[in-house]
Amino acid sequence: MKMKLAVLFSAPFLMAASGTALAQDYPTKNIQIIVPYSAGGGGDTVARIIADRLSDELGRQINVVNREGAGGEIGIAEIARSQADGYTLGVFGYPDNFVLENTRDTSFDSNSFEYLAAFDDMPMGIFSSPGSDLDTLDAVRSYGEENPGAIVIGESGALGLLNILAFSEELGIDTTPIRYSGGGELMNALLGNHIDLASTSSMSHDPITDAGGTPIGFAAAERMEMFPDVPTFKEQGVDLEMGVSRVMVAPAGLPDDVRDILTAALDEISTNEAMIENFHSASIPYRYLNADEASDMVERSNSVLSPVIEENLEQFNGD
Amino acid sequence: MDLLSILSVLLTPSVFLVVFAGVLIGIVVGAIPGLNGAIGISLLLPLTFTMEPQIGLLLLGGIYMGGMYGGSITAILINVPGDVVAAPVAMEGYPLTQQGRSKEALYYSIFSSMFGGFIGVLILILFTPPLARLALQFGPAEMFFVSLSGLVIVGALSGSFLKAAFAVLFGLFISTIGIDMITGSERFTFGSADLRSGISVVPVVLGLFCFAEMFLNIGKKPGEQVKYRDQSIKRMTVVMSILRKRLLVWKSGIIGTVVGLLPGVGTTLAVFMSYGEAKRVSKQPELFEKGNPEGIIAAESANNATVGSSMVPLLALGVPGSPTSAIIAGALVIHGIILGPSLFVNRPDVAFTFLYGMLLTVVAMTIIGAVGIKYFSYILKIRMEYIVPTVLVFALFGAYSLRNSLFDVFIAIVLGIAGAIFKKIEVPLAPIIIGVVLGPLIETNLARAMRIAGARDIPLIQYMLSSPLAIGLLVMVVALMVVVIQMRRKTG
Repeated sequence: MKMKLAVLFSAPFLMAASGTALAQDYPTKNIQIIVPYSAGGGGDTVARIIADRLSDELGRQINVVNREGAGGEIGIAEIARSQADGYTLGVFGYPDNFVLENTRDTSFDSNSFEYLAAFDDMPMGIFSSPGSDLDTLDAVRSYGEENPGAIVIGESGALGLLNILAFSEELGIDTTPIRYSGGGELMNALLGNHIDLASTSSMSHDPITDAGGTPIGFAAAERMEMFPDVPTFKEQGVDLEMGVSRVMVAPAGLPDDVRDILTAALDEISTNEAMIENFHSASIPYRYLNADEASDMVERSNSVLSPVIEENLEQFNGD
Repeated sequence: MDLLSILSVLLTPSVFLVVFAGVLIGIVVGAIPGLNGAIGISLLLPLTFTMEPQIGLLLLGGIYMGGMYGGSITAILINVPGDVVAAPVAMEGYPLTQQGRSKEALYYSIFSSMFGGFIGVLILILFTPPLARLALQFGPAEMFFVSLSGLVIVGALSGSFLKAAFAVLFGLFISTIGIDMITGSERFTFGSADLRSGISVVPVVLGLFCFAEMFLNIGKKPGEQVKYRDQSIKRMTVVMSILRKRLLVWKSGIIGTVVGLLPGVGTTLAVFMSYGEAKRVSKQPELFEKGNPEGIIAAESANNATVGSSMVPLLALGVPGSPTSAIIAGALVIHGIILGPSLFVNRPDVAFTFLYGMLLTVVAMTIIGAVGIKYFSYILKIRMEYIVPTVLVFALFGAYSLRNSLFDVFIAIVLGIAGAIFKKIEVPLAPIIIGVVLGPLIETNLARAMRIAGARDIPLIQYMLSSPLAIGLLVMVVALMVVVIQMRRKTG
């Protein structure tokens, strides 16, 4: 028994020691991926699909660790302060980190991470409740102009709120955003006609339309392959593009050779048919960006989001 | 998809094996303090990716069902509910153990779980579409009134009114810590990211029920431990006794089913409501909290009934009714199964096999439970000095594993010390949990109602009472209050 305890207690030190092993041998031990959300959600699903394939590619076990809380802040902060040795990685939905760092006093900022890849491109959308008259963009606009603040729009996260704010501003109307604690609650409120509209991602399309709700539009550059009948806001004359992209990051300061091994492995699995099929069957629009492309995407998107967040800071920080 | 072809899928050795394995895992994680069905399911989720969807689902469903029961084993034997839903069972079951009637309590628990489980799953099979529509009726106003009725239940528990009021207020206070859901403003966070995300129910339950009990045990002399007694009690005696109380079983099962439908409130509220209701109608309310099997019957039938009903909104609308069913939803999505009304049209094989398979999980739970009770009771033979450290290690692990957070461990220990003090000065602990669970629901739903009423430009009262359901629920809250006050007058 004493022997066992000794092994147990020394395990963390042994692990720390092995972290300094030569980088070209990477990976010499198991890797963990921190996901700042609970198990079962979209971000978690992406992480698990990738972990599965990457583990085959690297020949090491990859553990997905859910570290949820404070809208993702807790988990993202933990990724940022992990050792940059390639044994702790993170998967989360960009721009959650960007919204958090600009609206709260977070311990991380845009220099805390290196982007290794992006896996999907999931636009936000606005949906109307079953049987509602506000089922087109024009109907929303004219009702909103006549009744400032009367349109109640539900959301379940910072990006959803951002989408409402940008949507309302582009339409030139006042709306009332209401927060729900998760996608399930939001759906319940929309389908039960307790709110007029919901701001959520394209992933909710099928359950909403199945129950009689209508998509008003997606905040995407062009129509989605999966939902060719749903118009974009752009083609309806509203300049709004907003979406979530699940990215894999490492804490800043990753050794070059470790990064090369990781990005090469990610590039390698990115064309794996079976993995792409996993994304499709989970209704996640797959779009792979390599490390450079992902960093570019993040940079461009940051500059678009910045002004929207800045103008609406009080909406995030409370009254 | 006819019944025969469903049965031909279900009645195969591999399905039996998966269901039994799921239920057994569920019972084990449920019995271990701090672990629960949700954790078991998220651990085994990756395993289901390679299985046939309906088989994988039944594995998860089995864990869910078993987890709901498992918590009551440790609740009855060592007064440590494995999970919050087993808290009322501890209040009745442990006194029975102290009287040397542990096996009887365990039999009441497993067979009530069986009846509750069957009621929930049968209702799921028969009434999914209308129940899903009912669940949608619950908007901010309705949720507010339902949650309020949960607070009123606290008054029905015995003990000093002042101490119970203190406990529930303490629970409500804990629930205010963190970022306010609606406005986003921070409360009692002192700039800490951990406090910003709020204090979740699991470390609170672990602290108050598990750590506190173990801390108090440390101070006990060897002779004070409950002794193992080999009592002979026939299973059928207990089953018959439960059947004599079938009204109570049905009522608890239906409370579990209806309240279990509501997203977010679900199980905890259902269990305490049906427990409070059992005490209200009981001919021997004075025996409650001293070892009344009626309390076990009510709580256990209700919590296993919620397993079926929390799947109703999930299957029919794609809206998960509990954290556990949210994870199951995630598993379905990975299998490319779209939840919602179209599920029964597009993938009837998955939907119906799963529905009827859930009956199988109840059967498996009953068999494992009824056979296992003989062995479960051996826990009482183990000396306290072995039990205390073991339970503490599991509890520490459980507190950590919820969000992989040391902060949660810290919270559990602090509340453990507080809980031990509360027990000494006879402040009841259950109302604290009720406050922690219901606080956010009451607050956010009232805030939502205020915002919506403001947007619609109508007075709040008018909005709150704009549906017949809301009015009905308000009447129920008032009626409950009157009843509770009368009960208090009688018992003094």
